[in-house]
Amino acid sequence: MSRPLVLAALALLIICGLAPIGAMLPRIELPHLLALTEDRSLGLLGRTLLLGLYSSLLALLVGLPFGLLTTLTELPAARLLRPAALIPLLLPPIFLAITWTQLVDLRGAPATALLLAAATFPLPALFTARAAQRIDGASLEAARLAGGTRAALAMALPLVLPPALCGTALAFVFTVNDFAVPDFVSSVGPKFNVYADEVFSAWQTRTDTGAAVASALPLVALTLLALFPALALRRRGAFATLGRRGRPARPLPLGPWGKLLFLPAAALVATSALCPLLRLLYEAGGGPRGWSLAAFREAFAYAIDLCRSNLLTSITCAALAATLTSVLGLILGHALERLRRRTLARALELATLLPLAVPAVLFGIGEIVLWNHALTADFYNSPALVVLLYCGRFLPLAILVCAGAVASLGPQLEEAAAISGAGPLRRLTTIVAPPLLPALGGAWILVFVLSMRELDAAILVPAANSTVIFRIFNAIHFGRDDFVAALCLISAFVTVLPTLLWGLLSRRSLRILP
Amino acid sequence: MSSTKSPPLTLLLCLALAACAPKPDVVIYCALDQVHAEPIIRRFEAQTGLKVQAEFDVEAHKTVGLVRRIREESGSTRCDVFWNNEFAHTVAMAEDGLLASYDSPAAADIPPLFRDEQHRWTGFAARARILIVNTDLADPTTIHGMDDLLDAAWRGRVGMARPLTGTTLTHMALLFPVLGEERARAYLSGIIDAGVNLTSGNATLMRLVREGELAFGWTDTDDFNVAREAGYPVAAVYPDQETVGTLLIPNTVCILERAPHPEAARRLVDFILSPEIEATLAAARSAQIPVRASVSRPPHVRSAADMRVMEVDYAALGTEVDHRLAELRERFLR
Repeated sequence: MSRPLVLAALALLIICGLAPIGAMLPRIELPHLLALTEDRSLGLLGRTLLLGLYSSLLALLVGLPFGLLTTLTELPAARLLRPAALIPLLLPPIFLAITWTQLVDLRGAPATALLLAAATFPLPALFTARAAQRIDGASLEAARLAGGTRAALAMALPLVLPPALCGTALAFVFTVNDFAVPDFVSSVGPKFNVYADEVFSAWQTRTDTGAAVASALPLVALTLLALFPALALRRRGAFATLGRRGRPARPLPLGPWGKLLFLPAAALVATSALCPLLRLLYEAGGGPRGWSLAAFREAFAYAIDLCRSNLLTSITCAALAATLTSVLGLILGHALERLRRRTLARALELATLLPLAVPAVLFGIGEIVLWNHALTADFYNSPALVVLLYCGRFLPLAILVCAGAVASLGPQLEEAAAISGAGPLRRLTTIVAPPLLPALGGAWILVFVLSMRELDAAILVPAANSTVIFRIFNAIHFGRDDFVAALCLISAFVTVLPTLLWGLLSRRSLRILP
Repeated sequence: MSSTKSPPLTLLLCLALAACAPKPDVVIYCALDQVHAEPIIRRFEAQTGLKVQAEFDVEAHKTVGLVRRIREESGSTRCDVFWNNEFAHTVAMAEDGLLASYDSPAAADIPPLFRDEQHRWTGFAARARILIVNTDLADPTTIHGMDDLLDAAWRGRVGMARPLTGTTLTHMALLFPVLGEERARAYLSGIIDAGVNLTSGNATLMRLVREGELAFGWTDTDDFNVAREAGYPVAAVYPDQETVGTLLIPNTVCILERAPHPEAARRLVDFILSPEIEATLAAARSAQIPVRASVSRPPHVRSAADMRVMEVDYAALGTEVDHRLAELRERFLR
């Protein structure tokens, strides 16, 4: 790989992702760190840890079998269930919480864990499904002949477990950083406070922002602790499963169990994905005041009319960020994977995780500190800063996706090309990039989706006021439930559009996971 | 080659686009809901021909977004006018030297209670802290004020937003100077001991009451009006009319120190403080209470003159919130 190119990409990673964090750290002083050891803070942290563990364990318990069954077996409607299970990732988890607390009396800590598990189970399910797709069909067939479907699934289980655990680690990260769902679900009954509340409320302070920055550190540590094992598993090749060159597995027959297993799988998709969508459709048509097609049309027309420019801003910023991060992800992901000095590679890996680990509000304030100066005022005021912020927040994911894909490519072709005289740039563009196109597409879509729903950091930069997610949350307060619901549905559709287009126009399936 | 040049090229393109973007004549940060404030700002643009860049907040961030931005941007101020939907953060910013002095002629008839002596901010169009009551579950005539939340008869069936952000934080912090340290602390302890439900915000509290999950609880008049307009069985109790009175939380408007466009900022502040805009806000769905007795209002909007208003020295007590936040976190964030 060309050293100047890697250094340039690294410089952009530092500018986009690390500098905003670095700009905030000098505010921390020793008393702020000592305050973190107070009983109240530790109590909140302990509770958050437990919530994360329970919720992500639940996500694993449903996500792993779901991923296995919908990928390896003849489960009825598996081709529909698998993509439908991704819907919770497109909607903010608070929508799931609002839907279910309206339908049933779900309150308190267990309900919070359950709802967050329902919102995050697609992560272990996705990782499991991706790993299951890569299991050599011949081995699976042999296991089935020896002991039936149960034996084949038992053979597959240890192979998909490490990737499933990686997905679970990500689910844990999402859970411990969420405060909206615990706060909302415990609006009735005993209050269930979590550590992310501490971080958010610390920013109410007038002057002592060092304490607010320091309050984020335990959450950063928890997040990194969860992600480290996942990365270690990836480094050890635990995601490689079996025979990369093997043929795809034929779906395993389930016999009479098929219909029985279909019911819980369908119920899972219905509770986590369809119910929130149906609720939005219901609200868009008038909701409890009486649903009508005319009201439904009116809400959509109003939403499109009022927020056309917001949609355009969101799509443009998210698409630009996705494009930039995909290119940077390819360069840095490749460098990370091929770096001979492993200590340096691990240090780089750790650095790439930081923007994901810090609370969004801290990242957003870091952007203000960094860019609000007379010299950079035009840039600070422009949508370009929104693009930069999205890049900084989500570049780590693009790097990890690309690094995972590079790991599955042997270095032999690159070595042969190098011996033949091809330069590093040519090797990257003609040898490495083409087979990674599905991974690059995956990284692009992942960053696009997350950018479309990013609010907590973006709210602090000027031009993010013009995004569609901002309009949604600005309108939530004022009881225009029909308008909010219509706008949510439009936003969800736009968010999923690139994935649909890829599915329609490309013969190669996307590769988002390692 | 193209891929190698893409990152810097894309950034350069972004920077070029940024530099070419049209510049506004005045920048306003507005914490009032966009749906209400935007038409007013557009009206100002139509009247003056000035181009306004308006930036808003979201409910989930409880004004933290804009206030924090103003504080962090103070080294290179870009905002001219701050239209806050409450007063505590505004007063704190004035104390910290972030606001410029401007005695708007449009504010001449606003009562002195709502104006800073040094003319750094002016209050107008207020919300009241009220008790929203579900009339299917409770008789509003039997509910009188803050102590009803602590009544054992209502245990588990009343609520308020967790007092760590927004108007509930301001309200609870102000109980200290109004009731005295001891009584305020007793009240806050009572809230916890009486099992008062702590919701994720005033709007959530309103939704829980209108749908019958709770019988009554603290909220703001703008949230109440949403439930009232939608036809839910709700009533508003303006609390403590025999004792401390009802807390009014006015909108506040101010000009930032070192505002880049001071002249346009003054024109915008004059416009916002005009009686016409206060009447517009009273007639809107947010049903803001005019602080001027002369301003017209629809029948469902109470007049400040018709109720006992909590005696609050807004100018002195804005900093109280920051002072009390630690104690409230200690009590309510465990």
